Amino acid sequence: MRTIAAFILPLIIVLIPLYGILKKVAVYEVFVDGAKEGFTIAVRIIPYLVAILFAIGMFRESGAMEFFMMALAPVLGFLGFPVELVPMAIFRPLTGSGSVGVLAEMIATYGEDSLVVKMAGTMFGSTETTFYVIAVYFGAIGIRRVKYAVQTGLIADVAGIIASVIVVRILFG
Amino acid sequence: MLNYIWAGLIIISLVFAVSQDVMDLVQNPYQNGKEHQIEIIFPENGDPDERQTVRFRIEGHEGTFEAAWRPYTDNPEMIIRVDEEMPELWRNIAQDQDASNKEELLAEVVGFDRTTNEAAILLPKVHYVKLNAIATAAFNMAEFAVTLAIGLVGIMALWLGLMKIAEESGLMYMLVKGVQPFMRFLFPNVPRGHPAHGVISLNLAANMLGLGNAATPLGIKAMEELQKLNPSKDKATNAQCMLLTVNTASIQLLPPATLVALIGTGVNELMISILIVTFISLIVGITAAKIYERFHPEDAHDENIPDDQKIEA
Repeated sequence: MRTIAAFILPLIIVLIPLYGILKKVAVYEVFVDGAKEGFTIAVRIIPYLVAILFAIGMFRESGAMEFFMMALAPVLGFLGFPVELVPMAIFRPLTGSGSVGVLAEMIATYGEDSLVVKMAGTMFGSTETTFYVIAVYFGAIGIRRVKYAVQTGLIADVAGIIASVIVVRILFG
Repeated sequence: MLNYIWAGLIIISLVFAVSQDVMDLVQNPYQNGKEHQIEIIFPENGDPDERQTVRFRIEGHEGTFEAAWRPYTDNPEMIIRVDEEMPELWRNIAQDQDASNKEELLAEVVGFDRTTNEAAILLPKVHYVKLNAIATAAFNMAEFAVTLAIGLVGIMALWLGLMKIAEESGLMYMLVKGVQPFMRFLFPNVPRGHPAHGVISLNLAANMLGLGNAATPLGIKAMEELQKLNPSKDKATNAQCMLLTVNTASIQLLPPATLVALIGTGVNELMISILIVTFISLIVGITAAKIYERFHPEDAHDENIPDDQKIEA
């Protein structure tokens, strides 16, 4: 699988222009014509990304996270959800770099062979920073009213978080 | 929903920062206003009336530390170089002080005995740590957002160019025909043979293989294709919500590179669990989106759409 992944990008990048040439397309001209949109789109994302990231940045620094962890820990512990995983579960949909930090800290504390780190790693690999994706994808096309995208994104995240705990427990527990 | 979450994040941040800072005012964890007793060690023949580099000892603590001695007429000052061996309190003050240089502490010397070289100093006062921190975080993240967005320009342009060639050469059409059945289920409102189906399938494939450099630009391109079918320009369609959902809950055939870097070879074990978990969350995500779709029928007016791209009834 890793080999496929290594080959696929160069292959696509070469094959598309190659096929174009065979079909007598003015590949260079067409490429430039398509590519000129790149800057506009990236710039269009900026306000959306600023809005999301600065709010999350403030939240991260305010110490509210620690409070929620303390408040949630007993409830989740009662439900059989490992308390150590609460930071990961809260951080993951909000910030990519933040959850990397959480994971690195967990590896240092519990060791990479421990069950909680396996759960956290699975969680990290299975879920997305939903708010970032919303800002980038919808920002690029100027969508402000996102309808129910936040809900479905978060439902999928929560499903991933719960499934991580259960699946890892069954596989390695 | 996003409006409430967004405002909630900001308001909660403020509430927590304020309450933390008020607690600090009451408990005074930085011991603001406390006179710290030190003993200054001048170099040989050093004159306390001249500027020089000195070392000093903190009362009740091991080791000596470096500082620049600034003898002013009223009270002398010391610019103290922060050291890992210093008491925790001193390091905390240095870290959380208002000054931009966290490596130095500016101390005011309030009492100095020329015969014994003993001195009492005041360290900088530390106030409103959390309020400052959230303000700084807001500005830093705003800047970081621009860096992130600008970083997209190049790869975005690359993929947009390639996709244009794929469209003109008919390659996209071949791809669209191949993925049609599955795409028609996920995106029933996208007309048969529409290029959006092709770009979406490429985006999902890149996502599954963890190819971030390709997945994001292709996802944006796919959103753009769907936007051409969107009658209202600033409100998402059901198809766009579905695309977002399958992107956040994508199946992962390969773990992300950051995970490999952190866990190392142990990641091979996790590939199975990640595959199963992402499969579950994808099913849940699609189901949730399909249920929401029922309660959010698409806006009927579609006069903005060109005739050849009309949504099928």
